[in-house]
Amino acid sequence: MLPFTYALRNLFRDPTRLAQTVGGSALVVMLLIAAVALNQGMNSVLSASGSARNVVILGKGSEESIERSEVHLEAESIAATGIRGIDEQLGVMAVSGEIFYQAPITTASGIENQALLRGVLEKALLVHSSVRLLEGHFPGPGEVMVGRLAHRKLDVDAAEFAVGEKVFFGKAELTIAGVFAAPGTVLESEIWFDRNDLATLTQRDTLSLVTLRLGSAEFDDVHVFTLQRNDLELAAIREDKYYEKLSIFYQPIKVMTWVTAALVSAGALFGGLNTLYAAFASRVREMATLQSIGYSRFALLVSLVQESLLATLTGTLLAFVVAYLLLDGQTVPFSIGTFTLTLTPTVIGTGLVTGVLLGSLGTLPPAIRCLSPSIPQALRSS
Amino acid sequence: MSFISIHSLTKSYTKGKTSVTPLENLSLDVPRGEFLALMGPSGSGKTTLLNLIAGIDSPTMGELVVDGRDIAKLSRAELTHWRASHVGYIFQLYHLVPILSAFENVELPLLLGKLSRSQRREKVSAALELVDLVDRAHHRPSELSGGQEQRVAIARAIVHDPNLLVADEPTGDLDRESADAILNLLKTLANDHGKTIVMVTHDPKAAEAAHRTLHLEKGKLIEQGALESATAKSV
Repeated sequence: MLPFTYALRNLFRDPTRLAQTVGGSALVVMLLIAAVALNQGMNSVLSASGSARNVVILGKGSEESIERSEVHLEAESIAATGIRGIDEQLGVMAVSGEIFYQAPITTASGIENQALLRGVLEKALLVHSSVRLLEGHFPGPGEVMVGRLAHRKLDVDAAEFAVGEKVFFGKAELTIAGVFAAPGTVLESEIWFDRNDLATLTQRDTLSLVTLRLGSAEFDDVHVFTLQRNDLELAAIREDKYYEKLSIFYQPIKVMTWVTAALVSAGALFGGLNTLYAAFASRVREMATLQSIGYSRFALLVSLVQESLLATLTGTLLAFVVAYLLLDGQTVPFSIGTFTLTLTPTVIGTGLVTGVLLGSLGTLPPAIRCLSPSIPQALRSS
Repeated sequence: MSFISIHSLTKSYTKGKTSVTPLENLSLDVPRGEFLALMGPSGSGKTTLLNLIAGIDSPTMGELVVDGRDIAKLSRAELTHWRASHVGYIFQLYHLVPILSAFENVELPLLLGKLSRSQRREKVSAALELVDLVDRAHHRPSELSGGQEQRVAIARAIVHDPNLLVADEPTGDLDRESADAILNLLKTLANDHGKTIVMVTHDPKAAEAAHRTLHLEKGKLIEQGALESATAKSV
């Protein structure tokens, strides 16, 4: 085998080509990292948002969208008394009738943007167990509580959503009473209103949904309840299943992400391959000389792959550094919330495998082409 | 017994739709330690013959025995292995690896063996000393003159102590002075070190350095008898 230093030194033979190979592979790896992080972030926020112990009761026919759902106000108390085995804490049933609404909110500085609004009573905390108040207090009349990523959803500065700041919904002025966290869930992008306030402001006399937390009861108990109370026209769905369905709804967006990443990667890949073809083509005679000395084609192939691997892994490392600086921890808003891009082991692993494949499999066609001419023919090449 | 024994050797290949036969039914014997020059016009088959003797090409038909081994029957992998220990190839344009120093270029054939680092260093130093380039050991090819580059190439060809050296126009790209130095070196290798050398050349002056000169034309040896009788008469 040729010494490793031969591969290492060959890298610096043509700095322009080295830069092209490193840059091309960094771009491909970076795009794949971004695509995987994006898909993983969205999947993770959707799967973390739903609990298997929660059941959502919606208006019949609105199982796909809580926004369109209408549930009679009394359904909350009827469900609380009609279903046995619902979780309760300190005598309060974990049943939360909520209004969910998407509408523009205006900040004190005048920025108006679409926001996710949820009208709740304090017992909502019994069903949304991931919610933790970070600052302030639960909203009363004339107040709201904001998720810590709500500012990203509205694309405003975090300072605009600090406790004590004002926001406007229509003509109503509301004070931010608290900031809450619900790690990894879509709830963190919402603005929670006092339920009666939101009902008045949106002129609604119905709820959007009733969420209840199962104790000893099972989903079937809730399902049977919705069938028995046919008059209320309700449908039950497990909260985790609801977000699973939403995940399928976002499938086209994920596919688009992959297609975009694949298209740009293909461009970078072909550019990189072209660079390698040119780099190796200029060394056909050198390869023939080494074969005439007694090096096998396999030994030379290994050396060429080593050389490319060094370049593509440098590109991969560069992509990791850029991703760490620019992507890691970034929050991305989407229609029902916000998710965070994270460099998880899966994301890093995907990038690493891509870098290795680029340097090994990607090198094979130009390397084989470089080594395929017979030695006498290759020795005559210029 | 001849060191190189060639019987009815034919090499042909297809170029497009045409069949080309650069060597046809050629027979030749080269004794051990002989310095043989091959001359002939372009396309006469001399480089093809050289490549066959060096084991970097395979004949279509015939027998090609080098140092007791019929290399025409070896597979590609066996030929590669055989070349590594039996042949040193000297090219017209030196073909040194530009990113390696003279020392590292000379060391290349030794990396195929199982020598320790110190053993390799010893052998490389000895080879560089023989070509009088010890002081240029750490220079890269771009920092050497043409003559020096060819001397490094010769050191690379002899460092693993092969019995056979093949040289394709080794002085073709050098000025007269450098060419003479290279030819003297090849003569020393044949006369003092017992190497069998087969050299292709266009230069009659280079051929004069050899023990014997053979002429090829259209893939066949010519004038061998005439030349030998001419040599005998002059003696």
